[in-house]
Parts: sequence; C-alpha cells; structure tokens
Amino acid sequence: MTVSRRTFLGLSGAIAGAGMIGGWAFWQQRQHRPLILSARNDQSGQHYAAGFYLDGRCAFQTPVATRCHDITRHPFLPIALFVGRRPSTESYLIDLRDGRLLQTLRSQTNRHFYGHAIFDASGDWLFSTENDTRYPGKGVISAYRFDGAQLLPHHEFPSYGIGPHQLAWMPDGNTIVVANGGIRTEADSRKEMNLNAMEPSLVLVSRDGRLLSKETLPEQQSSIRHLNVAADGTIVTGQQFMGDAYKEVPLLAIKRPHQPFTTFPVSHRALSEMRHYTASISINSELRQLAITAPRGNRFYIWNLNNAELLLDVNVPDCAGVGAVKNGFVVTSGQGKCRLFTSIGATAEHQPTSKALTLPAGLWDNHLIC
Amino acid sequence: MRDVLKSRLTIVIALLSASLGIISCSLPRQDVLSDLAQYTYLPAYGQWLESNVTLTDHTKQFCQTPTDTSAQSSKAIERLRNAFYSAQSQWSLMQPLLVGPMSEGNKSWQVQFYPDKRNLVARQTETLLDKMPTLTPQQLSEESVVVQGLTAFEYILFDESIDLAQPSKKKRYCPLLMAIAEHQRALTEDLQQQWLTPTSGMAAQLSQFPNDRYLDQNEALADALLIQISAIDNLKKKLGAPLGRLSRGAPQPYLSEAWRSGRSLSNMLATLNGAREIWTGSNGQLGVRSLINDRELSHKIDQAYDVTQAQLKGFQQPLFQLVTQSDTSALDALYESFDALHRIHHNELAQSLNIQIGFNAADGD
Repeated sequence: MTVSRRTFLGLSGAIAGAGMIGGWAFWQQRQHRPLILSARNDQSGQHYAAGFYLDGRCAFQTPVATRCHDITRHPFLPIALFVGRRPSTESYLIDLRDGRLLQTLRSQTNRHFYGHAIFDASGDWLFSTENDTRYPGKGVISAYRFDGAQLLPHHEFPSYGIGPHQLAWMPDGNTIVVANGGIRTEADSRKEMNLNAMEPSLVLVSRDGRLLSKETLPEQQSSIRHLNVAADGTIVTGQQFMGDAYKEVPLLAIKRPHQPFTTFPVSHRALSEMRHYTASISINSELRQLAITAPRGNRFYIWNLNNAELLLDVNVPDCAGVGAVKNGFVVTSGQGKCRLFTSIGATAEHQPTSKALTLPAGLWDNHLIC
Repeated sequence: MRDVLKSRLTIVIALLSASLGIISCSLPRQDVLSDLAQYTYLPAYGQWLESNVTLTDHTKQFCQTPTDTSAQSSKAIERLRNAFYSAQSQWSLMQPLLVGPMSEGNKSWQVQFYPDKRNLVARQTETLLDKMPTLTPQQLSEESVVVQGLTAFEYILFDESIDLAQPSKKKRYCPLLMAIAEHQRALTEDLQQQWLTPTSGMAAQLSQFPNDRYLDQNEALADALLIQISAIDNLKKKLGAPLGRLSRGAPQPYLSEAWRSGRSLSNMLATLNGAREIWTGSNGQLGVRSLINDRELSHKIDQAYDVTQAQLKGFQQPLFQLVTQSDTSALDALYESFDALHRIHHNELAQSLNIQIGFNAADGD
C-alpha cells in the first residue's frame, strides 16, 4: 500500500476531521519558516521531542520517556520519528502539527536503537541502525513498513560491521551509506567492550541488503560515527577517537563520487581544538559547504566542500546539532544560545556572519533537522 | 621582566575598571565575571608566568654554574627543586581557572603529561636525549607533548635513576631542563597576552557582551563554572586512580599525579584553593557566591571547602605511600569530600544559577 496524504489522514483517526485539515493547511503554509526538530532535555532531566521555528516560536515540546538523538522526517507527511539514543529500545513517531505522539516504536527482541534512522523517498519504509544484543555490537539495519498510521517491523539485514551509528541515503535513493562505529556495546549499556580491537568502517549497502562496498581508515581507534551526503553523492564522515588523549589524529574523512574513502584535510590547530570528538555534520549542497560541531572543544567549523578551505572556526559553547538552511547553517547548543550562521559567498577573508537566535538556550541534543 | 608584567597588569586592570565605570547598569553576573577576570584570573595568570620565569632563571643558573663540591651541588639542586615546586603548585592552582585559551587545543598536555599509565615520560625523555643531546627550545616545541612539560622536568629532577650532582648527568639532562623551562615560560607569556589583549582578550571577553566568544554573560558564567567543576571532578580522578577506585580496588601508586616529587596532595590543595577563589572571589571582590540568594546553599558550599581543605592539610606523608598502607580510611574520606563538593557544584549550584554544565560535551554519542 502506498502512503498518501489521504491515507495518512484517513487512517489516523486521532487527527482526522475538518479542524485537523485546517491545521494541515496551516502547517503547510509554515513551510517557508524552517521548523527545527531536535531532541531536548529540561533542567530536571525530562526528555522531549521538540519542534521550534527559527524565529523562536515553539511548535511543540512533547515529553518522551527516553532521550532521543536524531530525527527523520517523512518525505511528504507532517510526521517525524525521533529516534531513541543508544541503548534505547523506544523511538517516537510525532505529528509535527501539534506534537502529538502517534506511536511509540519499540525495537524487536534482542535489539536496541543506535539513535539514527531514515525514511525512504516513498515514505513507505523506514530503516534504522540497531544492535543485535545476542552478539553484542553486531550491526543490523532494521526495516519498518509505514502503513499510514504506524511503523511495523518487517525485516532486517546486516550493517556489515560493528556498532552502526548514522546512516543516510545516497542520491540514487536505493543505496544506503552506513557509518559502522566499530565499538561493541551490550544491551542496556554504553560501556565500550573492544577499544583495543575496534572495527570501524564505512559501508554502502543496497536497500535490499546487498553489500556494495566496505572501506576503512588507517586509524583503528577512530570510530566512524556521523555522516552527511551532498547532492552529488559526496559523503563526509566525522570520527570520535577512542585512543590516547594526547595524540593527534584525523577526525574527518571524505568519499567523493567514484573516489576512495580518505582523510579530509583539517589543520593541526583545528584537530587539537576538537579534542578527538566530532558530533554533527551538515552539508549545504547549494553552497557546497561542510559544517561540523565539536562540543568537547566548544568549536563550530565551516569548510568549502570543493577545496577544503576553512571558512569559519568559532567558539560555540557545547555546540550540538547543525543543519543547513537557506544561505547558511543553524547551530544548537547544549549549554548556550543557538546561532544562525550566514555563510553564502563566504571565503577565508570574508567569513560567515552569525547572530543569536531566540530559541531556548541549552540542553539541545547532538542532532537537528530543519 | 617581573616589573614589566606587573605594570602591564596594572594598565589592563585600570582599563577594565574604566570600561566598567561606563557600564553603570551592568548585570550581577557580568559584574562577577568582570571582578573574577580582574582580581582572580589575571593575577593568577601573572603569578603563573612569574613562576615560570623563576624556573627558567633557576634552571639557567643551575645548568650554567659549575658546582665544585657535593654540598654546592645539593644546594643548587634544592634551589631548582623549590622553583619547580612553585611552578607545579601554580599550575595546580590554575586548573579551575583554565577557561578560554588555555582550554583550547593541546596546551594542557604541553604543561603536564598525566596520567602517564605506561611510563612514557621516562622512556621518551631518554630516547629524545639519545637522539638530540644538544636539544634547543625550538626543537623541543616540535617534539611530542610527552616531553615538553613539567612531568618530564619532574622526572629529571626527582627520579631515583638520575643524580644531577654528577657532572655527566647534568650535562646530559640540562639541555632538556632549559628547553622545558623556556617552553613553559613562552607558553604562559603567550597565554597572558591572550588574556590581556584589549577588547578581544579573554579578560575583556569575560567583562563585556556579546563578543566573539560569548553571546551573553550566562554563556561566560557557564563556561567558567564548567572549567571549575571539571577541575574538582579531576581531583576525584587524581585521588581515585592511585587509590584503586578505577581498578577494582588495587592501589596504583604510580598513578599519583606527582609521585616522583611527592607533591600530589599539596597540588590538590592548590587546585582546591583555585576553585574556591572562583566561588568567593579574591580579596573581597565579587565571586560566584554573591549570585546565590540561598544562604543555606552558600553555607553548605563554604563548609564543604572548609572540610576538604582541612583534610588535605592533615596528611603528613606523600600520596604515593599512603595509598599502599592498610588503612586508607582518611584518603577514602577525602575522596568522599571531593565527590560531595563536585555534586554540590554540578547539581545544586548549577541549578541555583539555572546553568547547564556540559550537556553533549560530557555525554554525547
């Protein structure tokens, strides 16, 4: 069954009705204003699935039982899945018009989420990275079918690696790129079990589960964690180094179309500032710019994706999620104010400009989509 | 050198005071940060530089003066050790004050290599001197951080295998001693410059908002507290590791921070004193305490500092020896005090100030 707006409105009894159709139209009109979706906490530790407009207005803040990490939005319906952070066994399907919790998606027996998932372009399928806890760390991609109201577990295939984390679609819509972090963890635990025998990898897999390629980096203790894909198929990954704290190691890597996976050039200064930890990666394909957050170093960076020229290296306390918007990037923070960076036309000499946003300060999780 | 430093400090403090005078309606948090910048951070950075200038002077004097008798050698080594104690103690005091430039990049590693779980400092020091017997400060700055800092200096000055009274040993190790002292002096001088630079310097960035580093005083206060609280948390690790709390109870004396010089506990006290200056302010000026209306909480924090400081002052033996004794109850009690102090800051103080201390930086994914 193909999901359509009609199917969604018809099947979801709770949101049917004239008033809701009015809400749908209202929501659609808002599309020129980016709606930022992110996991948040409050001071008391309560977790939320949150939606805020860029101008600071709250669309919704829905309390949820477990802390979420990344979000994936349905391609044409006003719904999104807030994905449980590892080792959560719950993710939350949210109605973006009012924040209503439509479904608590539970992982299958002996599985937990790793915080990342993706809807496909048809909106009929969702794929999520998960841990097979019978063989801790063994990565699986679980496929869920969306029936217009609920996500239903359907089948799964290997991630062809250990500890899969973020995944994304390649431009063909049929190939999935997976960052296998390489770290074994058990159910209910975030404790690393194999820091001296990590197996990080970058895998391309077809949507029906066939391994297309598997590449590694020279640094065995660099966990390939997050990634983003440009419109031309360029993949950029961000690593988290688990080795000796005083060592300097590359933390970004790139796979340009038809090229091998290799280190993305970053200055010694920037590498030492990052403190072995990159968090969120965003590519603004229109601007051909790459942005990353490094919360341990309190640094936010923008590079020219074409020539790796550093355009911005700036202090942002506990910077968290980054997302591409028209003319630049929006950045949230776990500790301070959120910022909007206008980077269109930026060069090393004419750096991006920034302004504070009126979004709530602090307690934003490491990812956002907008 | 010292006179120049003092006059620079005086000018900057005067400039900051003048700029504050213009802001007649400044906010309480801004006032506290500005006072901390002027009366706590800047003087501490100045004293740190001064201690490294002294260390450089004494190292040169030791290395360039021939010692004819063993008595002369002993005295010269003692003078150098005292200069080292002073630099090491000042570095310990700085731990809660490392907000801004010092917390960026790998600078802390350049000052101290800790923990040294695999005895890298000894091995790499010897390898380096075998390879480069006439090492210069410039050459050292291109070597690993393992051999650039006070930990390597401490190894040469205190390790049982090295007798600096012997001319051959003095000849072997002096190039590295001089290079390290110079590296430390240059690093702290550069840092002080980064604090003192008008308008874009760290002192100015803690006094006027928004700026390139902080959008408002809340971000700056959170950053300052994050560093202070991390330093208290590190005290737990510096005590917990040798006590065996991170290794199923088996004592690990070689994981004491300054086991060769026997100064682990006095360094902890210096760190605690630094943390307390953020809380109280210096010399009657504003500190974080002035922002707290809850008297009970203020009293609780004061008391926690009193108790912990008294415990630290009560130890008569080095931590290296204490952790291997059958009765470690006093050290266990100290650990509990560190833990309590950390929790009060991280939970109650931060909550009272409505400040989030490191959300993703401390627990990302």
